[in-house]
Amino acid sequence: MVLAVSLSFLSSGDFWTDVALTAGIYALVALGIQLNVGFTGITNFGAAGFMAIGAYTMAILELKAGFVWWLAALCAIAAAIMFGLLVGLPSLRLRADYLAIATLAMAEVVRIIAQNARGLTGGNQGLFCSSSGATCYDDWWVHASDKINGWLTDLGWANPPGLMPLVIVCWIAVLATTLILHYVQGSPWGRVLRAIREDEDAARALGKNTFSFKLQSLVVAAVIGAVAGGFLALDLATIHPDDYQPLVTFYAYGVLILGGLASYWGVLVGAGILWAILEATLYLDLPDPPFTDVRIAALRFAILGVAFILIMAFRPEGIFGKREEMVLGE
Amino acid sequence: MERWSTRMRGGPALAAGAVAAAAIVAMVAAKGLNAVAQTGLVGLSTGSVYALGAIGLTLVYGILKLVNFAHGDFLTFGAYTAFLVNVTWGLPLVLGIAFAMVATAALGVLFERAMWAPMRARRAGVLQLLLMTIGLAFIIRAVVQWFWSTDVRTLDVNSTATVRFLGLHVGRTELIVIAVGFAVLIAVGLLLRYTLLGKRMRALADDIDLAETAGIDTARVILYTWVLAGALAGLAGVLAGAVTELTPELGFDLLLPIFAAVILGGIGDAYGALAGGIVLGLATEWSTLFIDARWKIGVGFVALIVALIIRPQGIFGRARAV
Amino acid sequence: MNDGGANGCIFRAEGVVKRFAGIRAVDGATCDVEEGSITALIGPNGAGKTTFFNVITGFYPPDSGIAEFAGRQILGRPPHSIARLGMVRTFQITKALARMPLLDNMMLAAPDQPGERLANVVLRPGLVRRREREVRERALELLGIFGLRDLSDAYAGTLSGGQRKLLEFARALMARPRLLLLDEPLAGVNPTLAREILDYMRRLRHDLGITFLFIEHDMEAVMNHSDRVIVMAEGRVIAAGEPHAVRRDPAVIDAYLGAGSAEGAGGEGSA
Repeated sequence: MVLAVSLSFLSSGDFWTDVALTAGIYALVALGIQLNVGFTGITNFGAAGFMAIGAYTMAILELKAGFVWWLAALCAIAAAIMFGLLVGLPSLRLRADYLAIATLAMAEVVRIIAQNARGLTGGNQGLFCSSSGATCYDDWWVHASDKINGWLTDLGWANPPGLMPLVIVCWIAVLATTLILHYVQGSPWGRVLRAIREDEDAARALGKNTFSFKLQSLVVAAVIGAVAGGFLALDLATIHPDDYQPLVTFYAYGVLILGGLASYWGVLVGAGILWAILEATLYLDLPDPPFTDVRIAALRFAILGVAFILIMAFRPEGIFGKREEMVLGE
Repeated sequence: MERWSTRMRGGPALAAGAVAAAAIVAMVAAKGLNAVAQTGLVGLSTGSVYALGAIGLTLVYGILKLVNFAHGDFLTFGAYTAFLVNVTWGLPLVLGIAFAMVATAALGVLFERAMWAPMRARRAGVLQLLLMTIGLAFIIRAVVQWFWSTDVRTLDVNSTATVRFLGLHVGRTELIVIAVGFAVLIAVGLLLRYTLLGKRMRALADDIDLAETAGIDTARVILYTWVLAGALAGLAGVLAGAVTELTPELGFDLLLPIFAAVILGGIGDAYGALAGGIVLGLATEWSTLFIDARWKIGVGFVALIVALIIRPQGIFGRARAV
Repeated sequence: MNDGGANGCIFRAEGVVKRFAGIRAVDGATCDVEEGSITALIGPNGAGKTTFFNVITGFYPPDSGIAEFAGRQILGRPPHSIARLGMVRTFQITKALARMPLLDNMMLAAPDQPGERLANVVLRPGLVRRREREVRERALELLGIFGLRDLSDAYAGTLSGGQRKLLEFARALMARPRLLLLDEPLAGVNPTLAREILDYMRRLRHDLGITFLFIEHDMEAVMNHSDRVIVMAEGRVIAAGEPHAVRRDPAVIDAYLGAGSAEGAGGEGSA
């Protein structure tokens, strides 16, 4: 059977914009998880929950309480910090797989609340605009986006894709976060985190309150996740519980292990590669029998699953990880 | 201060039992015996699904030393293979169940040989194995979704017939699920307690290194454990699909409640998992007497979180590193 | 309250009990350690020595008893808080932070690092940098004393067993201890290195006034290099005093013969 498939999508601006945006959002989430997993040794599987808290808090405050967008955003960050503490306090003393389950369960609780507290979150209708339709979550963004589009045309780009401003802002956030994390990683604070990753008891015996540091690491990841959630909401133009399923966290892990544990820059590369592949499944004009939409979705799962297994089995250090670090650790 | 407690089947189990009894009495007083019994039966059906899934998961934990995220998708696999036999090929459900159990057992053995044994030999770390189980979960789900799409499917069961006894209405399917579930649970319970193989499985689940030094042929027991875990998971999937419907997320959605059952019962403890599953099923259904039904899936998650916080070694469990 | 000043008691334990699954691993241990002394803790295998260490340094929650360091109650406190007070321990199986360079291992241990607070890293980089410089200098100095300076950039995981022992020792010193608890510092170490380590102990005691309490199985080291010996058996302290007096104590002889364990170098397994 010959599969005639068109690769013309590779020159499509839409394709690359989509890849860039999705990769940017996931890079952001994964940076926080990298801080947790790659540098502190905490297997945090609650990323989707942090994203949901960020997006929903901001939207609810904007739409139901009439907050101005930047205040709602600050409150969303505060909510993320509180949720990070709530998640961390009981679960950070658990070992890796239990911690994974606990954080996953807590993220699911957030999603279930989002799904069922219909009055507050719109339930399965999702949330984006107020019931009258007068205000929407992205009102503030539309203005900014237009302005940025204006600058782009001024700079000579005739017809930038509609999502371009979001891509730009998102990647600015990604780069800023990467630089900040890189800087902070080299500090004494980062050193304690790495020590915790290596041997928590050794760090405690040297006077470090490791629980507090782990909590801080988690809270930082929670804040980063909340910001990523905000971007996702702007991307999808909706805030819906189905977009914050554990699958999202697993995609972020895919980005992480592809780029390599303990490499922030690797996260960016991993995000780009993974999402180029995943988005290609949508853009490749795969012939309908047999490739229905549902089957293409299944294909994406399969790609993720195979990636997890192959990388962990044959190249656990990912693209940018250091082999000797894998060998020396356990 | 963290607590290292000794193996106490006695203490906390009795306390828990007393609390449960008191809770039941309170519920009957509040909602009436009929309502409690009615939802209780549904709870037993849900509970046997949880219990069947949990036993397999907890036994396998001892081998992998890690919670297997792919276990939920074993349930999905079981449900869909039964669908293949029962609906696509039009054969009786009994054959569907048998086929599902055999197929899922085979799946478990396949992955043990192809993945877990080699990774154990390479001394793979916890994170590596954890991510591999997640990867496996996705591959199984992808295969199911490829062949059966996301269309909701049902097994060829009579979902509306009810049976009356003792003044209660029970769905006929639910009753069958309870009957089959409990029959198998009892059989497994006997197997684990009275056969040599069963005892060895429990020893492995409890402490695989100790079992090896005690001279048990771990390779064979591991294989049989996967057979049992796979078969039970397959059965659980079919039963779950019988009372609800089949979607590719069937198993993954059940995974967290099954985890909760495992942890409530004490990880590595098959009987604990059994009890934990039944208790959780009952609690989930009884919760609908007091809160809106749409929140009932949350019960499992909350139970899981509470269990991990308060007593990670479970109600029956003994001290082990958590 | 007595702070353990010159030749006072810097550490005191009374009736410390720790049970595991019904077994009393530590069954009412009572002892004290004089400031500025090099005190050895010995006893047959299974006597409860490492368990005792773990309890008094906060790694195991105690079942009962009292422990005092420099006049403060420490029993039940978390490990990091006890280490901060100046009572620092090493581990029987060395805990080199494998995927970090030696220098990082050392710098980690320094106390009073403003850079460990995230707020300072972001808002007061100058302060953080200054302290880092100090810490780095001290770390390199200590590494130099122990002959590890050339390896300061190597991953700790590449060190040999003996080198790891030295690193563990040096790292513990970075933490500015008043009392240093060493769990079998000579285990698995060649005789030359062992003598070096014992020498360091004496020098550090002399130069910096650090008190040492060390678990050891090597009797030669214990007899010739410690001021005082505490003997544990079956979870209890059965003798304490001058090395040679203790050696002749019938209860001690009994404990060793009774437990059937031979005296000798290189203890392994539980204590």
